[in-house]
Amino acid sequence: MIKMKKFLALALSAAMTAGILAGCGSDGSTNGGSTGGSTSGNGATITILNSKMEIQEQLEKMAESYGKSKGVNVEVYYSSDTIAAHLSTRYASNEPYTISMVDAKDVYSLAKEHAVDLSGEDWVKDTTEAISIDGKVYGFPVCVEARGIIYNADAIKAITGSDFDPASVKTLDDFNKLLSDLKAGGMAAPTGIMKEDWSLAAHFLAEVYEQQADPDAFIKGLHDGTTHMADDAIFNSMMDTFDALKANNYAEASAISAEREVTEQKLAEGELAFMFGGNWDWSVINQYDYSDNMGIMPVPQNGSTDANTKLVGGGSKYFFIDSSSNTSDEQVQAAKDFLNWMVYDSEGQSFLVNECALVPAFSNITLAVSDPLGASVKTYADKGALIGNYNYLPDDHYSKLGAAFQEYLANKTDRAGFGAAIDSYWQAATLSEH
Amino acid sequence: MQRNKMSYKVSQFLMFAGPAGLLFVGTVIIPFLYGLYLTFTSWDGISRTKPFVGFENYASTFADTAYWQAIGRTLIYSIFSVILINIVAFALAYLVTSGVKGQNFFRAGFFIPNLIGGIVLGYVWKFVFNRAFVAVAESLGQRNAASLLSTTNGAMFCLILVSVWQYAGYMMLIYVAGFMSVSESLKEAAMIDGCTPAQAMQNVTIPLMRSSFVQCIFLSITRCFMVYDVNLSLTKGEPFNSSVMAAMHVFNQAFTYKNYGTGQAEALILFVICAIVGVTQVYIGKKGEVAA
Repeated sequence: MIKMKKFLALALSAAMTAGILAGCGSDGSTNGGSTGGSTSGNGATITILNSKMEIQEQLEKMAESYGKSKGVNVEVYYSSDTIAAHLSTRYASNEPYTISMVDAKDVYSLAKEHAVDLSGEDWVKDTTEAISIDGKVYGFPVCVEARGIIYNADAIKAITGSDFDPASVKTLDDFNKLLSDLKAGGMAAPTGIMKEDWSLAAHFLAEVYEQQADPDAFIKGLHDGTTHMADDAIFNSMMDTFDALKANNYAEASAISAEREVTEQKLAEGELAFMFGGNWDWSVINQYDYSDNMGIMPVPQNGSTDANTKLVGGGSKYFFIDSSSNTSDEQVQAAKDFLNWMVYDSEGQSFLVNECALVPAFSNITLAVSDPLGASVKTYADKGALIGNYNYLPDDHYSKLGAAFQEYLANKTDRAGFGAAIDSYWQAATLSEH
Repeated sequence: MQRNKMSYKVSQFLMFAGPAGLLFVGTVIIPFLYGLYLTFTSWDGISRTKPFVGFENYASTFADTAYWQAIGRTLIYSIFSVILINIVAFALAYLVTSGVKGQNFFRAGFFIPNLIGGIVLGYVWKFVFNRAFVAVAESLGQRNAASLLSTTNGAMFCLILVSVWQYAGYMMLIYVAGFMSVSESLKEAAMIDGCTPAQAMQNVTIPLMRSSFVQCIFLSITRCFMVYDVNLSLTKGEPFNSSVMAAMHVFNQAFTYKNYGTGQAEALILFVICAIVGVTQVYIGKKGEVAA
């Protein structure tokens, strides 16, 4: 009897422990894994972190077919967390991904410690967008993305009656004239503005740095207090254009609670004609009943530079291969093979361009880009009319100045106040070394 | 077997508490101590090296005005939420124990918001504030109605409202248990002695339910201080980072701005503040508890 009780007690405590342990199970909430392929070949398993939500499905399918034909096991993971935050948990648990897709700034902060030197790879000669640090190539550019004003040519034509030529709207004066024509023709509010901090600060405001002749020197001037934002010609020119967008915003009264999806739906369906954005917005626009003729044009400006003939952008999202001891040589080799496959194999090229609808960053890939925004970007990229990204903004830049920009958008501050906020941010910021 | 022997007692204790204790140490105590160590480094969260910097992170914590603003905001939010949650929960509990028709149905109904995860709940309410309320206002003839979430005070109001809605049902259950634990005979005796129902409530029922109040207030204080999920999905700190609560600021500092050490130090200070408030409240609450 006593034995029986003892057994029961043990069983009970075991059950309780199991209950507690169940709580520690791996969480599947944000990271969906998918495995594909057989394990013949050299049998290596490579894991890929994807941070572009819109291509997750395509990647999973590719993992399966690629795995089957090449005899490697490909696992694709997705995380909606901040990339650096997500990777830090993986590195902390000694389970880094073989290949991680990160933003350019992450390559600069991670590569020296965590990435394999890819300088010897063939594809290096076919791209101008790879990231190298101290002469070593670490980042494989997944695609080219660029920013500008997205237009809906069909919506404009419906009112003006003639085909819209984006090259005809170079200056702010042209732009304002077109906006007032559109309003006179019955479009109540022709523009939309994304209030997201990353769009305002990391994309729009960043153009002010990127259009400078020497962005590093400009930012150093802001940091030292010798340059003031409110006095800068490019800042004022960009803000003049922003004011035009703001004054014609469909959600003027509730600009800072306008939802991105609603704005892009209106743009897609032709209720709006213009919105500042980039070709990644296609993944939102194509969810709706979009117009056929859309595209991206440079931000119209009255300034004296040629920035109003160029989009701003370049390589976006980079793959790097983990160099830690957790990744074996076979895995590194399999990962390198995978990158080569995307650049040189016709199937790989087709995967990148046709299935994922990305603008390739490699000059040897000649497939036509299918989505209209991507096609615009490719036109500008091909003729060398892209102003490069400035990838050295501090991590808190988009959040802190995004908040300041939102205040400007909500009329809580004026341009001088916003300029002062930018000045004081930079004066307190720590500049990254590069 | 000698049941009063020390070795027997220890082995019995270990058999029951050992596994859970081990896990508790492994998942709570050790990470806590490790976190404490990290506050003395300038680790960025991912680098292999963790340079030792002494008390620098604490110095930057005290210099971080955004952090103290977030703490102040959290205090205001917590005070309003805790008071409202408990008033609403108590009223609901009174309602569903007073014998109204279908009270079991109401109990379940009021409790349901608590079963929805904070993230989902935030998105649902975001839709309500941004679309439904705006549409109603516009149909009532107000032109260019702006969402409550687009103003600083409005966003705070929304956060408080959603928290009250979320937690009132849960606290209601504890109050219901409190109401049930007060024996009918005591109330009856008070009434026979000439108490009005309100007086009986004030002088007999509420003092006897004191432990329910202590528990509910403690739970709601700690939850409000640590609020993150609703904050993230409902306002995401917007507008203008004016609804960033302490926990969200800590997360941003550690992971988004990559100042892991400073974030960890800020988290520790938040923990200390929360612990002091919680323990003081329980101490004061327990002191005046009466036994039936």
